[in-house]
This record gives sequence, structure tokens and C-alpha cells, in this order.
Amino acid sequence: MNRLTLAVAGGRKTQSIVDACQQRDAHKRVLVLTYTLRNQDELRSRLARQTLASGGIEVMGWFTFLLNHWVRPYLKLAFPGRRLTGFLYDGDPGHIAGEARFLDREGRAYRRHLSKLSTEVLSASKGAVLDRLSKIYSAIYVDEVQDLNGFDLVVLEHLMRSPIELHMVGDVRQALLDTNVADQKYKQYRGPQIKRWFDLQEKAGLLSIEHNEQCWRSNQQIMDLADSVFPTDWGFQATKSMNTAPVGHDGVFVVRTTHAAAYYDRFEPLCLRHSRSTARDLELPFHNIGEVKGVGTDHVLIAPTGPSLKFLNGADELTDRSRCSLYVAITRARYSVAFVTDKDVAGLDVWEPAA
Amino acid sequence: MISRIIIRGYRRFRSLDIEPIQGMNIVVGDNESGKSTLLEAIALALTNKVNGRWTRDELNPFWFNVDAVREFFEKYGTSEQVAPPTIRIELFLSGDSPDLQQLRGVYNSRHEDDCPGVVLTIEPDDEFESEFEEYLASDPPRILPVEYYRVQWRSFADQELGRQPRALSCAYIDSRTIRSTSGVDHHTREMLSEYLDSKERAQVSVAHRRSKQQITSHTLTGINQRISQDNPDLHDRDIGIQMDQSSRTSWETGVIPQVEGIPFSMAGQGQQAAIKVALAMSRTVDRSPFVLIEEPENHLSHTSLSRLAARIRDLAGEDQQMFVATHSSFVLNRLGLDRLLLLHNGDTMKLTDLDDSTVEYFQKLAGYDTLRIALASKVVFVEGPSDELIFQRAFRDAKHMDPVDAGIDVIAMGGLTAKRALKLCAALGRRAVVLQDNDGLSVDEVREPVEQLLEAGKREMRVSDPTNGPTLEPQLIAANSEATLRSVLGLRQDANVEKWMTREKTEAALRILKSQESIAYPAYITEAIDLVA
Repeated sequence: MNRLTLAVAGGRKTQSIVDACQQRDAHKRVLVLTYTLRNQDELRSRLARQTLASGGIEVMGWFTFLLNHWVRPYLKLAFPGRRLTGFLYDGDPGHIAGEARFLDREGRAYRRHLSKLSTEVLSASKGAVLDRLSKIYSAIYVDEVQDLNGFDLVVLEHLMRSPIELHMVGDVRQALLDTNVADQKYKQYRGPQIKRWFDLQEKAGLLSIEHNEQCWRSNQQIMDLADSVFPTDWGFQATKSMNTAPVGHDGVFVVRTTHAAAYYDRFEPLCLRHSRSTARDLELPFHNIGEVKGVGTDHVLIAPTGPSLKFLNGADELTDRSRCSLYVAITRARYSVAFVTDKDVAGLDVWEPAA
Repeated sequence: MISRIIIRGYRRFRSLDIEPIQGMNIVVGDNESGKSTLLEAIALALTNKVNGRWTRDELNPFWFNVDAVREFFEKYGTSEQVAPPTIRIELFLSGDSPDLQQLRGVYNSRHEDDCPGVVLTIEPDDEFESEFEEYLASDPPRILPVEYYRVQWRSFADQELGRQPRALSCAYIDSRTIRSTSGVDHHTREMLSEYLDSKERAQVSVAHRRSKQQITSHTLTGINQRISQDNPDLHDRDIGIQMDQSSRTSWETGVIPQVEGIPFSMAGQGQQAAIKVALAMSRTVDRSPFVLIEEPENHLSHTSLSRLAARIRDLAGEDQQMFVATHSSFVLNRLGLDRLLLLHNGDTMKLTDLDDSTVEYFQKLAGYDTLRIALASKVVFVEGPSDELIFQRAFRDAKHMDPVDAGIDVIAMGGLTAKRALKLCAALGRRAVVLQDNDGLSVDEVREPVEQLLEAGKREMRVSDPTNGPTLEPQLIAANSEATLRSVLGLRQDANVEKWMTREKTEAALRILKSQESIAYPAYITEAIDLVA
């Protein structure tokens, strides 16, 4: 049976894949897929550290998977005489139909239509792509599955119907990255709405969804705030924090801009902003929120957007995307989250440097 | 296992397409029919290595099919110009293991085949297109400039292979030669590559090649003329010497790297063939799915060969596929005739439909020269040595040449029955005529057991006329007269011709063969000559 584990931030999602790989039958070959390079490196090093017999485990990026296992072996069945020679990460073929939509003259595949190309090759091969894959791998793990969208989901649908066991792990509240912004397929399931697509698959009997509400990173105060970012009609359960050891600066705070430098010197928080255009007047080593997925740190300082501030004050006008962004930012912290702003925020303590 | 091998443009194979069988394959053929070349080609595509080094470092202009190279140079610059010669070796594999399935796809020359496989190609490198053109325009020696070629090794999934995939590991056992691996090695190449870029190296290499070609075409010409004058009978083709043009003997071999005065070079070790085969096979039995054995009979006594054949048979597991190239009928019979993969006049043939009892029969009769039947183009089976001699003389009288010059092999059956001989010929598609004594039976009674196997124009049988006596000797007397034979044989007047001939069969036949007097032959012999000639 195919499984999806929806876990919260700090829910040890990646670790659950490493554990599953360790516990597999030694003769079974498994493939671990994930979208970001950093996550691939992380998985590889954890597997190398914890699994002595890692012979049957392969870690691969999502694009490499599509290129080498879907497109390359059977491309000429879809487009006679063509060979795959490379990958164009940024290229855009424009609005053309047919072969030129997927491949440039030299035979390099465009990233933006790669998953669509994969499904075209699958049907041209009359299913041979999946037959081949299922003879190579008995199970495929997908980490950070919420990063997939559009035709990637069609690829997942095919995998779920194949003899391969598909295990997916992710957190839809962290659906910040898109493998493919130009893809019009399944537009309604973009971002955190991917949860509705998962629910449909479960209803169709293709998938069983498990929820894991335990958080091993952030303390309860932080997780309560994070939970509130998604209103109850999304259907998420309350998170239970397993981090109960205080360090002396725990919880959620407001920091005035005049004290930001002092706060930074005192706690060395990870400084986050929505994008480069936010908090331009502050001299702090900011990171964009999209870059820090998977990161855990003791303290976080966030430069909030206008809608985020309103949200903190009880007026919820957040878009799906800003919800994810705010959720990711908050859940990086183990002990404390501070919002740097000169506006008042109801119910939060304002941090003052010691006199 | 390898289910199909397609070779194009490699050595003597301009185009070869064969389907080996599971387990043991015994590759048999005339000298120079390509037995060893076939094994080499398999090893090349499985490993992308030659003598332990990457193919591209060992590229040799003489790997390319001679006819293709000649055609290319002859037609170059004319209106019929053809593309430069290329080499392509494809191995189609079957099996569901993950390691094999990784190699699966449709990038092979049989487009409808979706199966695992590898393909090794050697073709001109686009990057050196202009250099190649220049070389051709400079009235070069008719040798392909392999430094402008590239080697590609890909799976049928169109994936470039870097390391050798585990599923392709193979043991190549060659007991013929002692390999010398002195000269350029990995370390040399690394050191050299730091100082020269690939174009510089190619330039030097071409110049070096040209100078060697000059030695061949000038200095060695006189020597070659002397060699061919001295030994006209040595070989039916011209023999001579030339400078080695393979990359192995390229300019880089003049350079030997050293570390603190100690040279990196490996000495070739001569080893007993049997030890080599046995060691290699027991070492690789669990891990190499493919075993290639070149002429295991070399340097072996009959008893050691017998032991070795038994060992090869035992070790040939179900999961392993073996290719044994052999000259020896003994090896062939012992390992099983149905395993034969015959290379013959550029054609290939298998005996997989030979029935088990015939296979077993030849395993027991392992000393029988089955290869002679396999390699002949037409066969005449006679009962024994005296029949063989008489047939030879009769043939010479009728056709004024020896049977062997007419492509006919005359084979004494000895212990072999006509039925087994004909079964084998039927499986091989050989034309055959069997000559039999009637031994007192009627012609129909003699023909009855093999009637099913006979086919006009292909496999025929001629039986001596029972009214003229049961065996060859009375038949000869009936065809001539006692007086004629007495004179031919040089017997005394009072000697009983039939009695003497029957007692001294072979001697009688020899005397007839040598005699200058003309004699007549029984009808079944003359008919057989007309059938087969």
C-alpha cells in the first residue's frame, strides 16, 4: 500500500525515511527522491552514517529521476530518432506544440515541461517505463513531497498505480517551493492545496495518509503560534511539542527596530524575511524564508510583512503562500521567535535590552 | 544472459547477428573464421577494456573491418564517397534483476526490442572533424587515424556507462598467450595529460604514426619482398612485417614514468593453461555472470584436457553464460554438441535442435572428429580406411582431382553409425553421402533405419549391390576381374584374390591407390561421386 506521512515541521520526516531504509529487507532495492540538492546531501550523509549496508539504497533528485528513468530509456518511442543529451534548467521554449516544447534542437530537455514529457514518454512506451522501474526498485521514498506540483502529481499517480510501493513524506504547510511554476496542470492543487489532492487519492483507495503531530524541534509556545497560522477549517490537528527543556529565553517576542542589533548580539538568532524587499533598512544578516527549509536553530528573528503583522493582531488576510512562508519561518526555532517591528502586537512581550 | 550479439565493422565481422543460448556456448569455426574475434568483441562490449586498459587508450586502426577501410579510402574524394568506418558491438541481455533492468531501454539497433543491453561504438569524434579532414586531404597512409575517433559505451537506456556495471562482470580466460603489459599505463597517461592537451597529443601521435608508416613502406619493403620469395608455401596469403600501428606502441610508450628511480611496469607471467582456467573459473563462479574461455585445449595433454572439460562442465552454473572457443572436437563433444555455435563462411549456425540421445552419443564418443564434419562443406561417409582409399582413387580417376580439392571431406565412420552421422549432418545442414556395404542384406533393409533422414540432393545413401557380394572386396572383384586385380595388387598366380584382399584390406586399398593401372569401380561408388561432385 502506498503511504503518505504528513508530519509537522521538526517532525523528523527525513529521519523517518532513513529509519525505514534501515529496516527494509536487505535484498530490496529502494530509491529515495527529493527535490532540493541540500536535502539530497542531507539524506546521503545520514544514510551513510546510519546504514552500514547502504548498497541497495539510492538517493536521487527529482529531475534526475525523471530524466534517467522516465525520459532517457524510451524517448525515441515518443519522438522517433531523438535522444536525450542534457537538461535546460532555465530555458523556455515558448508557446509551441509537439517535440519542440520539450526538447531543444540538441536534445536537451526543458525543466518546465519535464514531468509532462515524462508522462508522454510513459504512454509512448506503453507502460514499459513503469515495468522497468518496478523491476529495479521495490520501493520509492519521496521526501518533501509537498514541493511537487502540476504534472509531477500525474507522475506520482502513475507510481501509485504501479507495483512499486510509494512512501511519501511531507508537510503541506511548508509548500513553498514549486518544481514548476509554468505548469498549468492541477493548478487548483498548488501550494498547501496539495492536501486536497492527497485526500482525493486516499478516497480513490490509492493511498493511506498518516498524520504525525509530534514536533521534536520547537517548544509548545512556538508550535501553538505556528498551528494558528492555518485556521481550523484546514483540518490540521494540534501539534504536540516534545521539546520541553527551557533555555531562559523561550517563547514569542516583539523586538523594536532600535533594539534589533542588540537582540542579534545577545541571541544570535537566524534572521528571516519574506524577500529582499522586506526590512531593507535593517543591517542584519537576513535570509529569505524560501532558503531555510529543513533548517533548525535555537532562536529566530523575523521581519514580518504587513499581512503577517495584521494576522498577529487577529486580522487574518493571509494568502496560502504567505501562510506557508510564515509557518516555515516560525518553525525554524527551537526556543524563541521574535518579530522585529515598531508596531504593537497584542499579547506579545516586547523585548528590552537589560539596562 | 546475452540473448543476441550484433557486431558491425569489427575486424572480420562486417556484419554479424547471432543469438547465443543460455549456459554453455561452444564457438567453433575454421582457422580465421573469427572465433577469437567473437570472444574479444563480447569482452570489449562487456568491459570497455582491452588487456585491462580502457578501450580508448588501446584503440587500434586494425580493429576496423579491412574491407570497410579499403572501401572508404578508395572512394574518398570521389562521387561515391562513403562515411568513415565505424565499429558497433551490441549485446542484448535478458533477465529481471535490478542490475540488468538498469540497462534496459530501446536504444539499440533493433528498434522494437525493449530489453537490457549495452552498446559500444567507435566512431569519428565531432570535435576532431576538421583535423580528420586535413589528415585525409594530405594523401595519408591508408590507415584510419584513430586519435580522431571516440569510444562510447552506453546502456540501452541511452545512459553513458562510467564504471563497469556489476551485471556485466566477466572473466576472460585466454590460455594462448602470455600477456605483456609493459609500456604505457595509467600513471604515464596521468603524468602526460598534465602537460599536453588532447589536440597536441593527437598531433604528435599522427606524426609518429606517419614516420612508422614510412619505415613500413620504405625500409621494410625490401625485407618483405625477400620474405615472400623465401616462403611462398608458408601461407596462401602474403606474409610480411610492418611497424605496429596500435596506440599501444604509440610515442608515449617511449616514455616510462618513474618514482624515485623505480619504474612502473608489470611483467607478464607465463602460467600453465589449466591452472589459469581452473583458478579463474573457481574465483569468478559466484560473481561473473559471463565467462569467456579461449582455446582451453592449449598446452594440455589429453588427460588434463579431459579433467578440464569435466571441470568446465561442472562449474558452468545455470546463472552463468559461457563462451568457449575451441579447435578441439574432444572439447566440443564433451561439453555437448547441442551447445555448438558454428562460425562458417561468415555465417553462424546452432545445433540446439539436436536430440539429447545424439548429444549423449557424441559425449561418449568424445574422441570422434565431429569438428571435421562441422567444418566440411560436403561430406562422404565411408565404412573404414580401405573404403576411404578406394573412394579417393575412384574420385581422382573420375574428376582428375582429389576430393579435398573439390571441398569434399571423406570420413571413415569407424564406430559412428550412419544414423548418427546423418542426424548431425541434418542439424548442420551439411550435404552428405553415405556409402554402405550391404553385408548380405537387401538395399532396402540397409536403407530402412535412416530412410527418414534422407533427402534427395542433401543427404543420400548408396548401398552396394547384394548380388556382387557383401563387402568392398568382392564388389571390386565383380567390377573388374580377378586377373586385373591380381596384376594391380601384384599377387602371385596361385593366390586367392578375394581371401587376400579381405585379410589385407588396407594394404590392398593402398596398392590400388598407388597403382598406375586403370580399374573399374562398383556402381554405388561411381554414383556417389556424381552425387557429391
